[in-house]
Amino acid sequence: MTAAVLEVENLRMEFRAPRNAGGRRVQAVRDVSLEVQEGEILGLVGETGSGKTTVGKCVVRLLRPTAGSIRFMGEDITAMPSSQLRPLRSRIQMVFQDPYSSLDPRMTVSQIVAEPLRAHGTHSRREAAGLVRRTVERVGLSQQVLDRYPNELSGGQRQRVGLARALVLEPRLLIADEPVSALDVSVRAGILNLLVDLQRTMGFSCLFITHDLSVAEFLCDRVAVMYLGEIVEVGTRDEVFGAARHPYTRSLLGAAPLADPVEQRSRQRAILPGEPPSAIDPPPGCSLNPRCPLADRRCTEEAPGPTQVSEGGHVVRCHRVQEQLDLEVARS
Amino acid sequence: MTIATLPGAEPTIALTQPSRQGWWRRFRRRPPAVIGLAGVVIVVLVALLAPLLAHYSPTVSQFGQVLRAPLSPGHILGTDELGRDELSRLIYGSQSTLEVGVLATLLAMVVAIPIGIASGYYRGPIDMVAMRITDVVLAFPFLLIAVGLAAIFGPSLQNIIVALGVAQLPGSIRIARAEAMALREQDFVQAAIVTGVRDRVILFRHLFPNMLSPLLVQASVSIPAAILGSALLSYLGLGVQPPTPSWGNMLASAQTYLYNDPWIAIFPGIAIFLTTLSFNLLGDGLRDLFDPSMR
Repeated sequence: MTAAVLEVENLRMEFRAPRNAGGRRVQAVRDVSLEVQEGEILGLVGETGSGKTTVGKCVVRLLRPTAGSIRFMGEDITAMPSSQLRPLRSRIQMVFQDPYSSLDPRMTVSQIVAEPLRAHGTHSRREAAGLVRRTVERVGLSQQVLDRYPNELSGGQRQRVGLARALVLEPRLLIADEPVSALDVSVRAGILNLLVDLQRTMGFSCLFITHDLSVAEFLCDRVAVMYLGEIVEVGTRDEVFGAARHPYTRSLLGAAPLADPVEQRSRQRAILPGEPPSAIDPPPGCSLNPRCPLADRRCTEEAPGPTQVSEGGHVVRCHRVQEQLDLEVARS
Repeated sequence: MTIATLPGAEPTIALTQPSRQGWWRRFRRRPPAVIGLAGVVIVVLVALLAPLLAHYSPTVSQFGQVLRAPLSPGHILGTDELGRDELSRLIYGSQSTLEVGVLATLLAMVVAIPIGIASGYYRGPIDMVAMRITDVVLAFPFLLIAVGLAAIFGPSLQNIIVALGVAQLPGSIRIARAEAMALREQDFVQAAIVTGVRDRVILFRHLFPNMLSPLLVQASVSIPAAILGSALLSYLGLGVQPPTPSWGNMLASAQTYLYNDPWIAIFPGIAIFLTTLSFNLLGDGLRDLFDPSMR
């Protein structure tokens, strides 16, 4: 087994609503454990509000987690003071969702891409200029954009600039928070292909946060599915997309339309009723129990632990799946 | 497992965003703003070119020519109670008036911006302290603070600049703070934090340049407020001291003669009115220009 670049254990992130709004705690992330291995792309999939962005923000320490631990290349960064964290920041970079607000409107492209180099002072001015030029080229932009301001660029070009800024320091880990969700479909493919190419040539690991299943299926080596601040299923791409066990994953896959209309009309789909409950007071037991067609009394009382489905690390949190597996084991 | 890509996907987008000329074109479409700008330019030119424009010394008295009516030979706007040419005094008076307005605002900005940025970006204890102090200062009317400070410091040009500058601090601090708080949540600032950019660099390179437009608008509103304030201070005898003319002290000395010779009060009043109006119109125009929802 290869070394883990990022290990997240029992991460918990609570936000306290202002006192005049009731002062209640929002449990954005309740219990998340995941690993990103050397050179792999892990997809973190879930609906809006499931806490995937919060996980990303904790990993880059824009947020300080309430509990749990985050280790980057073996070093615990959960509560590291910012002075100690600064040198490590050059090795964890982030690409943001909105290419319009993630670039400073008053800086030129070359200034934006050079910023990480300046911040860490690792290169001379001349080296930095050359590196910026090469990186901009690498993300498929022409040299002409160097002196442009972000508002002169299209959404796709801006996201390439964001990618160049993140990759100019050759990080070991890239957190990509829905980098293509704000882009036109026509532009999206170009960015995704670019990301795959860069990942192969540069060899960084990537935590790719998305709500788009087709993007995750295209891009990721492994996929983790989040629901209400918890990871309900993790596995390789084939395991999650080909042999999903968790009822939530299955309904999520069923909700995504297929390209073939005949197949789309004829297939069996299990759509969950209702909406995800509020993260202020999540239901007791399994977080999916109010909506799950398979739920029984145990599901409403006891939170399911992780169940190993396969040798490779396909893990599901569901009582029903666990019982099924126990049955299979008993039969054989 | 590839997603189809169109050959040469992503056409280069033409540069459609407004350039510098675009700004001017949009500004020109607002007649009040243009009038305001013209007024401001005229007042500034008059102040700069005062020695060339004025035919008489503003301070030397001609006792044979006391209180001449407007349009009398040699004195278009008449003379005051000491026989000094009213027009020349108005022209020279614009100097001290503008000086106070601009320098007081500049002083307020220079002090307020760092405090506002720090308290909006760091929040926490710094913010608490800064905000409680501004709350206390804001509880008093602007002019009352200026008058109080000027009375304590004693009347002189520097002192009223300081007094009016201090009186303006809370408003400017709050604007800089609000901008800093909004900018801090922007992705580009978050991106800088993630990259490991030092706080100092974030404050100077990301926050400050991006709050210039609202601050410019604030400046164009506080300059006329300071001008009015300086007129009031001069009127109360706390401002520019005679014989140096300022529009405020011209008003003050004119009040004795208000019944028989009203023009020596009316002209400085008009000058104050038109100047503050010009700055306010310009400020409104700039605010609209920078407000994306007004485009």
